[in-house]
Amino acid sequence: MAKTPPNLLLDAEAISRAESLGLAARYIVEGYMAGEHKSPFRGFAIEFTQHREYVPGDDIRHLDWKVLGRTDRYYLKQYEQETNYVAHLLVDGSESMKYGSGSISKLHYAKMIAAVLCYVILHQRDAVSLGVFDEKLQTYVPRTGNLQSMHNILSLLAGFNPTRQTNIGQVLHEMAGQIRRRGIAVLISDLFDDEQQVLDGIQHLRFGGHEVIVFHVLDPFELEFPFNGLVEFEGLEQSPKLLTRPREIRKSYLREFDAFRARLREGCERQNCHYTMINTATPLHEVISGYLAFRRKTSAR
Amino acid sequence: MLLGISAVSIPIIIHLLNKRKFQRVIWAAMRFLKISVEQNQRRLQIEDLLLLLIRCAMLALLAVALARPAIKAATAGMFGQARVTAVLLLDNSASMSATDGVKSRFEKGKEAAESALASLPLGSSAAVILASDIADGLIPEPTIDMNLARKAVREARLSDRSSDLLPAVRGAMDVLGRHTSLRKEIFLITDGQALAWRNFQPIQRIVDQSKADVRTHLILIDAPQENNLAVTELRMTSGLPAVGRPLRFEAQVSNFGSSAASDVRVTLHIDEDPPSDEAVIDSIDPGSSKSVGLTGKLRGPGFHSATASIAADRVPADDFRTIAIRAIESVKVLLVDGDPGREARDSETFFLRYALAPVSRSEASDYFVKVNTIGAAEFDGVKLDDYDAVFVANVTDFSDAALESISGYLRHGGGLVIFPGSNMQASFYNEKLGKKWRFLPAQFVGPFGDASQDERFFTLQDKDFTHPIARLWSDPASGSPASAHFFRAYELKATDSAATTRPEGDEVGEPRTVLRFADTPKNGELAGKPAVMERSWGMGRVVQFASTADTAWNDLPTRTPGVYLPLLDRVMGAVVRRQDEGLNVRVGERFVRQMPGELIGRDAIITPPRHPADQPKDARKIEASPRTRMATLAYDQTNRSGAYDVSITAEPPVRLAFAAEPDPMESSLQTIAPEQRKTLGESAHVVSWTGAGAGAEFAAEVEKERIGTEFWMSLAIAALVLAAAETFLSQWFSESK
Repeated sequence: MAKTPPNLLLDAEAISRAESLGLAARYIVEGYMAGEHKSPFRGFAIEFTQHREYVPGDDIRHLDWKVLGRTDRYYLKQYEQETNYVAHLLVDGSESMKYGSGSISKLHYAKMIAAVLCYVILHQRDAVSLGVFDEKLQTYVPRTGNLQSMHNILSLLAGFNPTRQTNIGQVLHEMAGQIRRRGIAVLISDLFDDEQQVLDGIQHLRFGGHEVIVFHVLDPFELEFPFNGLVEFEGLEQSPKLLTRPREIRKSYLREFDAFRARLREGCERQNCHYTMINTATPLHEVISGYLAFRRKTSAR
Repeated sequence: MLLGISAVSIPIIIHLLNKRKFQRVIWAAMRFLKISVEQNQRRLQIEDLLLLLIRCAMLALLAVALARPAIKAATAGMFGQARVTAVLLLDNSASMSATDGVKSRFEKGKEAAESALASLPLGSSAAVILASDIADGLIPEPTIDMNLARKAVREARLSDRSSDLLPAVRGAMDVLGRHTSLRKEIFLITDGQALAWRNFQPIQRIVDQSKADVRTHLILIDAPQENNLAVTELRMTSGLPAVGRPLRFEAQVSNFGSSAASDVRVTLHIDEDPPSDEAVIDSIDPGSSKSVGLTGKLRGPGFHSATASIAADRVPADDFRTIAIRAIESVKVLLVDGDPGREARDSETFFLRYALAPVSRSEASDYFVKVNTIGAAEFDGVKLDDYDAVFVANVTDFSDAALESISGYLRHGGGLVIFPGSNMQASFYNEKLGKKWRFLPAQFVGPFGDASQDERFFTLQDKDFTHPIARLWSDPASGSPASAHFFRAYELKATDSAATTRPEGDEVGEPRTVLRFADTPKNGELAGKPAVMERSWGMGRVVQFASTADTAWNDLPTRTPGVYLPLLDRVMGAVVRRQDEGLNVRVGERFVRQMPGELIGRDAIITPPRHPADQPKDARKIEASPRTRMATLAYDQTNRSGAYDVSITAEPPVRLAFAAEPDPMESSLQTIAPEQRKTLGESAHVVSWTGAGAGAEFAAEVEKERIGTEFWMSLAIAALVLAAAETFLSQWFSESK
């Protein structure tokens, strides 16, 4: 897959609509109150947490000069409670996300969602971390509250190319173990995995007190299965080829697919998660603004 | 059929090819697709197999139906009786006119034909063809309209044609060959006359070779006739049919029966007049013929008919015979004298003049032959078209203009008679009149003999007179040309043997010998050589003599005036009546007559003999002959014997007549030999038709043979049902489940 130019991931209309709606935390997240009291303004906090190696784009004000002086290595000092809340965006980068019946693939759509959400969250001075995964977390942008990190996030998203199968449950479990402070986990995926394992992963996150938002990205052809004649289907994730007449099994396929979505929706709702099914044929701004408006309406402030 | 059945492989091939022809899609949601396919795979396979089987079965049924299969078993009655494609051949030759006093053979034949039609199963088709010496298709191609076929049989008319069943049998086989049908049958209804089977071997071979495919029913009308007298010939023996002068006719009566006929009265009618003459033949032995002389007069100029008839017997068609004659009011003859001599008696044409007009000077003006004599020097200035015949005697040579004039004269129907003599330049004649213009039927070779002595001479033949001019002397009572002495004569060496056409378009006829020298050693170099020859040239005729017209080289005029006069009379008749030769044709032959060019494009109304007044007459357009630029009337529907009247719509109207004479052999009622009948029985179903009562028996016999039927329609319906089922199922199967 050709590498996507980073600036194409930010949809101007989606951003303009999303900015006005914002993304508010539905549950009490640690540090929320501090945010309410305008502290800390510049994003550095009270409690040192750990060192992290410098990556281009990081604010050099947080460089640990002492470490640099002693070891000649660039390390940043990280502090807890430097933002109001942290949104952890997880983008499915497995091979199944490469599929797209039209001009846009599911992965591209997922990247755009992630980019817009990152921008909106950073713009309202909350923090985000971003991970792209398949069987495991492949690339990761650590927690940042600086809007200037957007360039870094976009580059990482644009540069990612899927090569492996997916294991969403495993990744969610790992994330649940890594995130210490409660925040918002946003899962953007086609969820073509064992749905029970996916739901178990979500449950693990929820158990850690995180709010979980699921964006279920699907192609219109996956939703409608509009094929005719004799068709050989070649799987993206190393499935054997299948030769069949799709028109004659359409009802059966749609039945199975709808049941899959229903199980996911019910599982998410059971765990009080927002489940949003996204058809990639729908313009991105409608999807983002629709969800944020729904969220604004239903959030208990 | 094998080719058709191989079409069954088409759906299988299409099925296999379709399996190779599919769309490729890269797909993410394979998990759900796999489940759906697993759930439906078996059902799809069964549906595929079912559709494939239906398509194969449909094509197989169609292939078998197109091959028109048939069951040849008695149990096949459930499909109905096999349809038959039949051809009815009904003999309508003259012999079918024979009657037993109540019904003619032809009427019985019609009854048999109707029974044959009635025996055909529902849905059959039949053609109706009249068989004589030709095949005349009343319904040339089989029709399923049996009412039409029955109507054609009922309205069929007898002809006076001869019998030869070969053309009809061949035609019937051709008709059936163009049709595909389980059962093909020929019903050949004839009287079993031996003449009709003159081509027995070819007919038997055709019937035998086709017997696997075509069943032939030979229905022989059983009406034996033992006696039959027929007028088998009628001819005018007088030279010229002059108006108002007694004309001699000769009628021949033949006895085709098995017992002698006695006191046979023969009458002669001119036109529709009462009998002009009659004669009685004392006795005619079985199988022999006798001729009788009769006299009649033509009352006016124009066309007449002469009919000789005998008392009606059981075969009425041959009890009379008619010929057509054109009466001549006057004949103008030009004599060209090459050696006039000092006195009239020395003239080269002296005897000719008196022979052609044998009357005294006082009667000459009233006599129908007008003779004009000129010298050779005057020939160039004469308008030849004013004369009916030109006699050239001992003329040395001709100018080129004279030869040109002769050619034009002959082209339009003139007659030229040439006598040699001592003045004649034989080499000029051979070169110019022979090789260049081809007027002469023979080259002059010689001359032979010496005219100055009496001892050594040549004589003419005394028997075997075949040419119509000389046939008169077949009867010894008419005298014998052999009495005359020829002291000097040329040898006539025929120029070319076959009829040809000159580059200028003139038809030159075959040279024919009229009289020849007797083939005796005494005749020396002229033994057996022609003495008189003739040929047609254009519309005219040329007669060439080997010796002189006077007594310079022979004593024919003085020793045998009884031969000389009729010879010249008949020679004149032959050259003058050249145009009328075609007036009498055989029944079935084409009548053709050349007429003046102003009649081109006119309509000719033709009334056949004994034509009912309420029936429409035949009409023909008079065409232009491309070669002679003359008007040509052609008519080929000469199926009845007798005189045909022709009326041409011109101003003033032109009337002419011609006659059709039946084949004398048709009068012979000898039937097919028992062994031939037996041979035919091996390849055909032979039935004797005794009368109307035979119909039911015949029908039962024929129907018993018709075992088996076609069932292609049932197969075609089954294929259609399968096609409908295939359409419905393929639609239903393709619906999403």
